[in-house]
Amino acid sequence: MSGDIADFVVVGSGAAGATAALVLAEAGHEVAVVEEGPAVGDRDRGLGSSEAFLRLFRDQGTQVAMGRSVIPILQGRCLGGTTVVNGAIVWRLPEDAYERCFGVAGAREHVPYRALLEKMDRIERDLSIAPAPDRLLGGNGTLMKVGAERLGWAAHAIRRNVVDCRGSGRCLEACPTRRKRSMETTYLPRAASLGARLLPGHEVHQIETSAGAAVAVSGRTSTGAPFRIAARRGVVLAASAIQSPCILARSGIGPREHVGAHFHAHPGTAVSGIYRDPVRIWEGATQSYEVDEFRPQGFKIEVVGLPVELAGVRMPGRGEDFQRAMRDYGHMAVWGVQVRAEAQGTVSPLGRRAHIRYTPTRADMVTFREGVKRLCELHFAAGAVRVYPGVHGGPDALTSPDEIERLDKLPLDPRDWSLIASHLFGTCRMGASDRDGVVGWDGAAHHARRLWVLDASVFPGNLGVNPQHTIMALAMHLAERIA
Amino acid sequence: MGLGPDAQRRIAVVLADVFGESPDVALAVAAFLDGYLRRVPRPSAIGLRLAVWALTWMPLLFIGVPLPVDALSPAARARYLDRWASARTYFVREAFYLLKAIALMGWGAQPDVRARLGLGPLAAERA
Repeated sequence: MSGDIADFVVVGSGAAGATAALVLAEAGHEVAVVEEGPAVGDRDRGLGSSEAFLRLFRDQGTQVAMGRSVIPILQGRCLGGTTVVNGAIVWRLPEDAYERCFGVAGAREHVPYRALLEKMDRIERDLSIAPAPDRLLGGNGTLMKVGAERLGWAAHAIRRNVVDCRGSGRCLEACPTRRKRSMETTYLPRAASLGARLLPGHEVHQIETSAGAAVAVSGRTSTGAPFRIAARRGVVLAASAIQSPCILARSGIGPREHVGAHFHAHPGTAVSGIYRDPVRIWEGATQSYEVDEFRPQGFKIEVVGLPVELAGVRMPGRGEDFQRAMRDYGHMAVWGVQVRAEAQGTVSPLGRRAHIRYTPTRADMVTFREGVKRLCELHFAAGAVRVYPGVHGGPDALTSPDEIERLDKLPLDPRDWSLIASHLFGTCRMGASDRDGVVGWDGAAHHARRLWVLDASVFPGNLGVNPQHTIMALAMHLAERIA
Repeated sequence: MGLGPDAQRRIAVVLADVFGESPDVALAVAAFLDGYLRRVPRPSAIGLRLAVWALTWMPLLFIGVPLPVDALSPAARARYLDRWASARTYFVREAFYLLKAIALMGWGAQPDVRARLGLGPLAAERA
């Protein structure tokens, strides 16, 4: 690829990169989409958790945030990015979440709520977004619905980007039947049909600048060959809240005090319940139903269709006790709580990997404790006979709702919890000037001309809802201005 | 970086205890661990390999018995594994659960295990 050139080089092919590439290609520009990970073939789909991690996730699924505890950070690393391996949840941005994320920081004039909603209208049409029908709730989702109705909690079927879903419960392994409308099946091929070049297996190390303007990207292909692609009009960075700041830092593009700072996330944990009747968690949509009741308190409850190998991790017991617990897998429902954490971490490059520092605050852990209590309450309301809170130092299992008060004493040390983080924001945040952030309200870098950052790293705050829809809408809004 | 035949044989004894599985299944899971270590990034592989080494060779430190884990009596091994799983030191406890989590991916892929749990084949239908 040495000596290659395009009008715009888009770095990253996930929700933001694919959307930006499509908008720029629709405007008639010559676009090159550079993706570190591989293309996703049919042979890569639905092969189980371990193959999915090894083939399609960043660092083969071993990426973690270090802090007081070790928290896995899951991200897709393939053509289509995390949209290939997520649960197909598409949340239309509620106004309160918009105000919290974009309003407080003063972005309201430049990123108006109405403009994002208009983009979301198009995206919803393009990706065929609709609530999961009852037939796809599966036992896991149906039980959550029953529990939420009995408790009178606000809850609903999850809106998903899937057409004619077969309910194979394999969203996290790349949809085996290609029915999920992720980027590699929608916006990327559409951009390619308009002339965009898709370049999987191209890892960008640096953005080259000349006279203060971005002029090219360079790095290595998956075979180790160096490449350089020049950009006539500019570089669009959309490599995620982890990789975008690392690329900027390696390129010497600041401001240093903001690049990689303000890292926000939605950490989560899961609680499983055992039911008398079969649940068959592997049938239905991977994530089909959710409880919205507690969003004002900073957490959200979702169905999580975990495969047996992941469901077993925090099962107590060994040997025959473990076998007995896992024989209940067919009767197990697994639900997660996802917290809008106030904690802020940092991201910096460490060789070719990212060094992520992140520790949930005490207030975040109090929210987790409340979330786990609510999950247990929900399981019992739905008819669970046994619930596993999964927190070290707490009870292994509860067998009655009367025991939930025991969870008031759950430890608040993150080292006692099995947390996992997705939904990552803020590491190249928007701000009026370089004293406030890395990019302006239009996504343009303060410290380099002809360079834009359009992914979740520019979010000024923590969103509090599943972000794919907002990431795409923001990328579309900003890319239209660039085009 | 992977696990040699001896390391696989030794860790398989632990896996058989932890998962309550037959030696054949445990050996297959140990072989999975070997393959996994060869495919993950080197820093992760080094950490995991160290965890396997420590779990194999630390009975002296944890329960005062100067033997590798596979040579312990079943009762001593149970005591030893309990010390890891409930260790007060976070990184010791977490190393145990990390290995368990990765081994579970190999365990959940075993046809015998899947058949016993009433699950279909690991690879999904693509039609």
